[in-house]
Amino acid sequence: MPFDFNITIAGSAGQGLQTIAGILTKVLARNGYHLFTSQDYMSRIRGGHNFTNIRVSDKPVYAPTVSSQLLVALDQESVEVHYQSLTGPAIIVHDSDTIKVIKARNIQVVAVPLAKLSNESGSPVYINSVAAGVLFSLLRLDLKDLVGFLETRFEEKSPEQIKGNINAATKGFTYTSENYQNIKTTIGTVRKKNRMLINGAESIAIGMIAGGVRFISAYPMSPSTGIFIYITGKAKKFGIISEQAEDEIAACNMALGAGAAGARSAVTTSGGGLSLMCEGISLAGAAEIPVVIANMQRPGPATGSPTRTAQEDLDLVLNIGHGEFPRFVFAPGTAEEAFYTSIHAMNLAEKYQVPVFILGDQHLVDSSITLDKLNPNKVKYKSYMVKSGNLKKPYLRYKNTKSGVSPLAYYGQDKVTFIVDSHVHTEDGHISEDMVVAEKLTEKRFRKINDMKKEFYGPQYYGLQNAKTVLVSWGSTYGAVRETIDYLLEKKKSVAMIHYNKIWPFPVEESIRLLKSRKDIRVVENNYQAQFNRLLKRETRIDTGEPILRYDGRPFDVRFIVKKFEKRQK
Amino acid sequence: MTKENHFHYSVERAWCPGCGDYSILSSVENALANLKKKPHEVLMVSGIGQAAKLPHYIKANGFDGLHGRALPAAFGAKVANHKLMVLVTSGDGDIYGEGGNHFIHAIRRNIDITLIVHNNQIYGLTKGQASPTSDLGMVTKTQPDGVFTIPFNPLEMAVTLDAAFVARSFSKDMAFTTKLIEEGIRTPGFSLIDVLQPCVSFNHVNTYKWYSDRVYQLDNSYDPTDKSKAYKKSSEWGDKIPIGVIFKNSRKTYLDNFIKHKDLPLIKRKTNIKEVDSLINELY
Repeated sequence: MPFDFNITIAGSAGQGLQTIAGILTKVLARNGYHLFTSQDYMSRIRGGHNFTNIRVSDKPVYAPTVSSQLLVALDQESVEVHYQSLTGPAIIVHDSDTIKVIKARNIQVVAVPLAKLSNESGSPVYINSVAAGVLFSLLRLDLKDLVGFLETRFEEKSPEQIKGNINAATKGFTYTSENYQNIKTTIGTVRKKNRMLINGAESIAIGMIAGGVRFISAYPMSPSTGIFIYITGKAKKFGIISEQAEDEIAACNMALGAGAAGARSAVTTSGGGLSLMCEGISLAGAAEIPVVIANMQRPGPATGSPTRTAQEDLDLVLNIGHGEFPRFVFAPGTAEEAFYTSIHAMNLAEKYQVPVFILGDQHLVDSSITLDKLNPNKVKYKSYMVKSGNLKKPYLRYKNTKSGVSPLAYYGQDKVTFIVDSHVHTEDGHISEDMVVAEKLTEKRFRKINDMKKEFYGPQYYGLQNAKTVLVSWGSTYGAVRETIDYLLEKKKSVAMIHYNKIWPFPVEESIRLLKSRKDIRVVENNYQAQFNRLLKRETRIDTGEPILRYDGRPFDVRFIVKKFEKRQK
Repeated sequence: MTKENHFHYSVERAWCPGCGDYSILSSVENALANLKKKPHEVLMVSGIGQAAKLPHYIKANGFDGLHGRALPAAFGAKVANHKLMVLVTSGDGDIYGEGGNHFIHAIRRNIDITLIVHNNQIYGLTKGQASPTSDLGMVTKTQPDGVFTIPFNPLEMAVTLDAAFVARSFSKDMAFTTKLIEEGIRTPGFSLIDVLQPCVSFNHVNTYKWYSDRVYQLDNSYDPTDKSKAYKKSSEWGDKIPIGVIFKNSRKTYLDNFIKHKDLPLIKRKTNIKEVDSLINELY
């Protein structure tokens, strides 16, 4: 039986929803379920209202859903906030001693003395394990899997704590099994298969490591910090140095110093920090220093909403840095795509000696999906520096070549010296105000575009061939648009989608080929000004229909897109 | 003298005749030659300003980046290849003004680089506005009523932050400056050499004569390892200006936390793809 089941775990910050979600998703993934989990949390450390959605299915899922079939309410507010979005026959799990739930038709209430069972196991802090036990019972999962997980996951805790957690989980499981054996759930069984669970931050970080990152610098900023933390955690093992800079200006210039010296370098940031990197990025353009900039978007302007999602920085990354210089901009749609894109990004920055942007957002980095595997050999690390001993002398750092790409060496290689420079400069990097030098230098840099256009893959098509209506996604809107296409195809609509990961250099010819003579083209994006829609129209000169926009800080879901889409169709 | 120096690079220099930058450049060349370094082993990093043109006028590797951002770039380059000897040469506006925040944090990190600040107490490249080190009362086109913002004292700050090596020199005294640069380079960790330097075009207060009348060399009776005395000495300014090693402090350098000198530099390291597999396996 196909199924698509959504679990909401809600409460205030500090209550441990992440722990419950972490245990449950790991075990579900190991059992072969397909998952999509998304985080909705407030920018605070304690209190507020937060929730995690765990969508469970027998087939791959790519986006969050709004309605839920199971709510774990860790406080009273959670009941009030999520009650309306439950679809029957739904289940509410709550603490029978502290939280009140109004009984209703279609709602099955599972009242468990969570805090009491935790205390009976030795401490009030085991409450998350009690809740996990309850969920395992309701979802007909094996208690043994939960116990096994607690043993390995909590191995850094004391034997007493591990025992306490296992006791708590067992009590939650047993209590529920004894008192609520008639509860109906629509989660079915799947063929057992060990799947990995990965979020966008992990996939970008591991991709950068596979792509040979040697130096990373950043100033912490939500929602990009996860990438920086991940790489920092693995730095020693991989011979990487990671530095928390005093500000984003320093972070960017550190990466450029390291890059100029021959180390593959990256920075991670979000909108406000990217604004501070503006001049540094211009330097990367002028001095032709390889650097990868992972910008994870959140709503702006200024501080905006730190823990929410948006796609408002597209115009910024396309234009950031004064003056003119070539760049790559990629916007991966899923954690899987983000992994391979990040390896590409590290390679391409060095190959073309240009800044490369990975444009993600809170929705991408904080959402987890299940995957069968990732193959770090699919996109191979490749060095584009001149091999030692092969340097032609005299070495010219900015040699004016046919391709526009000059041979890349590190300082002191084969005993040469050279200067990396921010001015208009000669082929040997020295300041010049000669008009011929200026003209030739600009043309040399922009000649790179010819080959850059051929790199990476173009827009991807999904859905009915020759469909009348085409939805366009870029970046993290991929998942919701893809599921919308599936939904509309089931309703026999003539629809398809085109997804853009490579955004710059813009794939003009491929776009025209895919988009010409469509009846309706609708770009779906998380901003107000329809930034990608404007770009698409400008580059292809093809008219598009009214874009489907969202700018409330929340990610798209199928219901939202379909509603907007159908409203227009009438 | 500089003709035989293999760091010497004969090229037209965009500095005013009589500028203190010339003697600082010669002092840098001499210090490097005295230390028996080869040009390809040295990286000169600068920001923007008259002083920041220096990397273009010496035979060595160079990184001429953005105004105020020489220190982060130098940090990145040193981390990428710790075998490089990294020197930063930039002006007071660049290091203490635009890049003031980086100055603080570079000292805190104690990255093993040598910073030579051409301190002429004025903005030269932009034609004569006050700099963070301009004395009170100096009248310029942008400070028509005279400077009333108190001057920044880089030495006081460097001592406060426990910099490894803090010194001041006067550009005219080339042999002395050379010696201080050598000592700064030899000292592990962050070294600051603030070199007082007349700006013959725009600073008509702090002239050769003005400095010559005031500077005096610290003698052997001064102990630069005593922090409280060093702090007091660093604040001395006016009729008498001390030059020499103000403060010396031995502490772990930034890279001591990660790398031994014999280790492979970052730029020579390769990622083992098998180990990337282990990261992926952790996600199951």
